[in-house]
Amino acid sequence: MRRIAELARLRISAREEATFAGQLSEIVDYIDQLREVDDGAASLEETEAASDTADNDLPRPAAAAGSELLDQFLDNAPASLDRFLLVPQVKATPGGDE
Amino acid sequence: MTAERLAAAIRSGERNAVDTVEAAFARIEKVDGSVGAFLELWRDEATERAAGIDSRRDEGLPLGPLAGVPTALKDNMSLAGHELNCGSRILAGYRAPYTAGAVERLVAADAVPVGRVNMDEFAMGSSCENSALATTRNPWDLTMAPGGSSGGSAAAVAAAEVPLALGSDTGGSIRQPAAFCGVVGVKPTYGRVSRYGLVAFASSLDQIGPLARNVRDAALALGTIAGPDPRDSTCSEEPVGDFLEPIEDGIEGLKVGTIREVRTSSLEGDAARRFEQALEALARCGAELVEVSVPLIETAVATYYVLANSEASANLARFDGSRYGHRAAGARSLTEMYTGSRSEGFGPEVKRRIILGTFALSSGYYDAYYGRAARIAGALRQQFTEAFEQAELLVTPTSPGGAFRLGERVDDPLAMYLSDVFTTPTSLAGIPGISVPCGLDSRGLPLGLQILARPFADGTALRAARAFERETGFECRPEPVA
Repeated sequence: MRRIAELARLRISAREEATFAGQLSEIVDYIDQLREVDDGAASLEETEAASDTADNDLPRPAAAAGSELLDQFLDNAPASLDRFLLVPQVKATPGGDE
Repeated sequence: MTAERLAAAIRSGERNAVDTVEAAFARIEKVDGSVGAFLELWRDEATERAAGIDSRRDEGLPLGPLAGVPTALKDNMSLAGHELNCGSRILAGYRAPYTAGAVERLVAADAVPVGRVNMDEFAMGSSCENSALATTRNPWDLTMAPGGSSGGSAAAVAAAEVPLALGSDTGGSIRQPAAFCGVVGVKPTYGRVSRYGLVAFASSLDQIGPLARNVRDAALALGTIAGPDPRDSTCSEEPVGDFLEPIEDGIEGLKVGTIREVRTSSLEGDAARRFEQALEALARCGAELVEVSVPLIETAVATYYVLANSEASANLARFDGSRYGHRAAGARSLTEMYTGSRSEGFGPEVKRRIILGTFALSSGYYDAYYGRAARIAGALRQQFTEAFEQAELLVTPTSPGGAFRLGERVDDPLAMYLSDVFTTPTSLAGIPGISVPCGLDSRGLPLGLQILARPFADGTALRAARAFERETGFECRPEPVA
């Protein structure tokens, strides 16, 4: 579970791990009933095509994404600088601060 | 007063929109301390909007079909300039830069948004208890859950705080709380209502719909918010039509199917008896009852939780502290910021679902879980199509029982998931589902009848719901908020 949590960019505390382990295994056991189901011959592609209602995948006039919208977007950012989002450096500097 | 009559009275000048909105705020002030539906009220803006409606009427200008109707919005729908939290700490402080398509249509019809209402975090839950922000109580018994995830929407309508609310439904999140709170809730056909501006949970299933105190109001609201939107590529161009015009036509001679695999013996308390009585009422309305088979319905909860969580794990990847919402302090690298922000911002149910979804999509498990579930969903849709060759409508109970006690299922996620047993199949099939009250259980708590129709036959389901409502005459009058 730690590995999956890591993939999902989640840190799980020891307490959460203790609670989640039982709950998740119970849920996965329940979901495993699907292994017994005859899901017919339909391939995943066919299934997806059948449910795909997006038939208007055509270029459309660009929405007027004016500077006002950009400003509002940046207003929501935890940190920004000169109309750019500000985030910590990609790789941590050993011993250094942000 | 119903939304329909309110709007008519405001249009004719018999009432003022400002007084109507004021009355809603007074009612909210009186009862919301015990119900806890609202997270935020937009008093000034609502009053200003109402005043604008009144003055347009006074100038002889036409008003929309929802003129002056106070409306609550679930906390996952954007209204430009207003905070939107999705019941989560991770979106603390986020302000919507634009307005959702469905909300735009509502406002264009002159409805007045009065505030945002509580929900399970990111719409994940069936009791509203997964909200990180507030506790919402069932107006029929304040120790009971209102259902979820649109629990705030259902409770606000049931407590007569507003005549109308919008909710969203991914696996039952409009219908189950509507049933628990004794109101009407509509999950429209997938693609009927724009999802633009709705925070995504599981994009192939999410749909916005109305909750109201009666079927006509729900039909009026759905007719208002439905229709194409180029900003949501899954939103259908199918003509909407008028849901209200034929709504009193009844269901004489209409074939209504029960589903063999929906075992009434598994229902809680006297839900089975109420369901039997509901079938008798439909027969009295002239419906011809038939039995159909949808064998895969029994796998729907498992299928749903694989697909919805897989999509959620991808959709919720965007909440990482970089662009909006909560950012963990003191991160030394980008990854640390992502992990810290997400771990601090998400509550336990969201974490569980992201972990499950990530697992179902991970290399080595993808085909066994996601792939298989997607194939089963396709086969289930096919079975519904065949069932609808034998019956125009299908009916089930909305939920296996009425509301459960707050706290009763929070530590047992699987038990919580199983309360979605009758609502998830509809979501997977993309078909419309309406929950209409069908009486009270022995504890005095409401139960719902779910009416299902073919894709884009939302109007037929509404017509049947109206006939049923007329026949049974349920009144939503919860004693604790009388």
